[in-house]
Amino acid sequence: MLKDYFMFSIKNLAKRKLRSWLTMIGIFIGIAAVVSLIGLGEGLRIAVTSQFNFLGSDVLSVQASGLNLAGPPGTAVATPLTDDLKDKILKINGVDAAINRYIESGTLEFNDRQTIGMAMSIPEGSERKILEDMLNLKAEQGRLLKDGDNKKVLLGNSFKEDDIFGKGIKPNDRVLINDISFEVIGILEKKGSFLFDSAIAVNEQTMLNLIREADDTDVNVIGVKVKNVDNIDNVKENIEKLMRKERNVKKGEEDFVVESPQNLLATLNSTLFAVQLFIYIIASISIVVGGIGIMNTMYTAVLERTKEIGIMKAIGAKNSVIFFLFSVESGFLGMVGGIIGIIFGLLLAYGLAFIGQITLGSDLIQAHITFGLIIGALLFSFILGIISGIVPAYQASKMQPVEALSFIK
Amino acid sequence: MKTDEIKYSLQNLVHRKTRSLLTMLSILIGVMAIFALISFGLGIRNYMDTIAEEAGADKLFIQARSVGVPGTDANFFVSADDINFVSKINGVDEISGMYIRAGEVKFKKEKKFVFIAGTDIDKKEFVEKAFTVGVEKGRQLKKNELGKVVLGYNYQFEDKIFSKAIKLGNKIEINGNSYEVVGFYGLIGNPQDDSNAYLNYRSMELLFEDIKDEFGWAMIGADKNTDPEVLAEKIEEKLRKFKDQEEGKEDFFVQTFADVLATFGTIINVLNGILILIALISIIVASVNIMNTMYTAVLERTKEIGIMKAIGAKNSDILFIFIFESGLLGMVGGIIGVILGYLISSAGGQIAAASGFAMLQPVFPLYLIIGSILFAFLVGAASGIMPSIKASKLNPVDALRYE
Repeated sequence: MLKDYFMFSIKNLAKRKLRSWLTMIGIFIGIAAVVSLIGLGEGLRIAVTSQFNFLGSDVLSVQASGLNLAGPPGTAVATPLTDDLKDKILKINGVDAAINRYIESGTLEFNDRQTIGMAMSIPEGSERKILEDMLNLKAEQGRLLKDGDNKKVLLGNSFKEDDIFGKGIKPNDRVLINDISFEVIGILEKKGSFLFDSAIAVNEQTMLNLIREADDTDVNVIGVKVKNVDNIDNVKENIEKLMRKERNVKKGEEDFVVESPQNLLATLNSTLFAVQLFIYIIASISIVVGGIGIMNTMYTAVLERTKEIGIMKAIGAKNSVIFFLFSVESGFLGMVGGIIGIIFGLLLAYGLAFIGQITLGSDLIQAHITFGLIIGALLFSFILGIISGIVPAYQASKMQPVEALSFIK
Repeated sequence: MKTDEIKYSLQNLVHRKTRSLLTMLSILIGVMAIFALISFGLGIRNYMDTIAEEAGADKLFIQARSVGVPGTDANFFVSADDINFVSKINGVDEISGMYIRAGEVKFKKEKKFVFIAGTDIDKKEFVEKAFTVGVEKGRQLKKNELGKVVLGYNYQFEDKIFSKAIKLGNKIEINGNSYEVVGFYGLIGNPQDDSNAYLNYRSMELLFEDIKDEFGWAMIGADKNTDPEVLAEKIEEKLRKFKDQEEGKEDFFVQTFADVLATFGTIINVLNGILILIALISIIVASVNIMNTMYTAVLERTKEIGIMKAIGAKNSDILFIFIFESGLLGMVGGIIGVILGYLISSAGGQIAAASGFAMLQPVFPLYLIIGSILFAFLVGAASGIMPSIKASKLNPVDALRYE
């Protein structure tokens, strides 16, 4: 019985081949556009967020609040962090380690060319190992820094490429940081993150004595490692309490922020998502238009087959059967359009990503199409077809058999 | 007479009301989206043109290279010596350095981080011209007075920066020091610039002890007869020599105001273009719908076409009737789409203005309105070409016999 319904629908669609094809093309264009845009959008989002996820989940950062993107972190602030806070944070229950991070912008020169970047400090003594673990630092060439390494620098992986200075940097090369000569001690492993791969790391003493101005002891960021990830919220609250007391501010008026990398990622994600959503909405307009096309085709089909409907009803077809017949037909239109659309969308997304990577050379352009997206698009196009067909199918099912039989085109 | 044929097309559209309405609906949605997007794109371009005109094409900037927002990284700056040197270069009419730092502004227990700018009161007319706005309420700062501040436009309103509006004479704190508000700048149109706080040089140097003679950037006015592009290159070369820096290793860069705007304009155009392209997809789908509707119309009216041909209608008459009918579908859709797009853009512009982006204002030039409607008509007519050719080529005898 069910099989008969489907055969009937397919036969009808085949009979009006041109119209069915055109209707499906309408759906297919919209679905292809949305699938490829979602695929590229997701790919971009993943690429962007992966730039920031080199930190573990058991890490908190403490910063004075200020304007973002104005110089290195922790510089555009009203009240900088002082270097005595670290030891106080360390005494809080559940804190495994607290490390002062000094970050300074400066010039880096090699092969007679110069660039501007941010140098970060690596602490000495027992804290060194903790930070190295925290950031998962590993040397690809040469070695990591050790205590007593003065005027020695560890560089991110991207410096070994030729494009920054016209010549890749190797261990034992000499570079100038703020016009002071440093020996390159090692190149870090590639992390795929822009921030990390362009790191310029020096020992804390080197940073404070050579790169910073002499009397400047402001701490940019305090990195905190918690003992147990499950307690991270608790530890965060305790640090906030301590900071409020130390900096003499009331709750709600904090001039500092304690954040986990997960927080930062969530903020970034929601910003990106808002942009994506806007693009998706504009792209879905074409799907709506495709749905209107289905509705139109189904109205025409009902009109053309008025007599047929009359005959079916005369020989005992119930309203629900007629409704079902037309719904299947329009759902079918949507789904077939959807399948073709998904195939084209996949080709388009991967094709554009491929072309983008070749022409722009950027890893940010990549397609990420999940199984869920494919199934979702398929289901969506089927449901869209059915919904677009509801009103025409209802109209068909409600026809008076006598009138329908006497209908003349 | 063509009027008969036009009347005939109209009658047919009305006859198949549901189908015509749905077909129009499909094209009007796309026209609406594109109309709205373009009106915003044109609005931004208008805004930039106004700025360029008011500020003048003769302005240049020297900025320190830096990490993050130019001018805010205290390790890189334009020094007073640099400015003094540049002021003597031939072709430089005026130059004024701008201090810039991030600071914490406090008003009635609320705190916000904003940029604090230190302006040169001696050259206030020049600076205000480059900003495109001056102090519109209250007064500008005096050269040596202390404890006074002029605020950006947005501070005058509640819930924009602070939950309470600030009035002239109110006291605010910047990094813990108290200042009396003596004036407000006019609207610049983007939330960042409209939330700056402005001090004179002396207050700035007292507030930030290490800032003296270290400017974030400097603006330059070129002489009337000097090409700013040429001047930019000249300044770059001379300043490089003065600072004893090699080419490619400068810690500064010189840009003309036109360059800055052009860069910004290109980015906006590309983004707007991408959105319009995406919206165009829906027009393609709509055109497929129109084609479908027209094929159906031809099919339904086969007999009619046969009759018309039998009584002497030429192929070209039939072609005209159907193309006109489908063009009409597109045009009516286009007209409604333009009206709805206008409403949406206007509402969007008000929302943008309320959230501080006064620069995001749509404009509706006549050519956009006429162009959109014409575009919709052409899309309709073009979509109808194939079905219309099919109709015009029908054999009258077969057509008459069609059931």
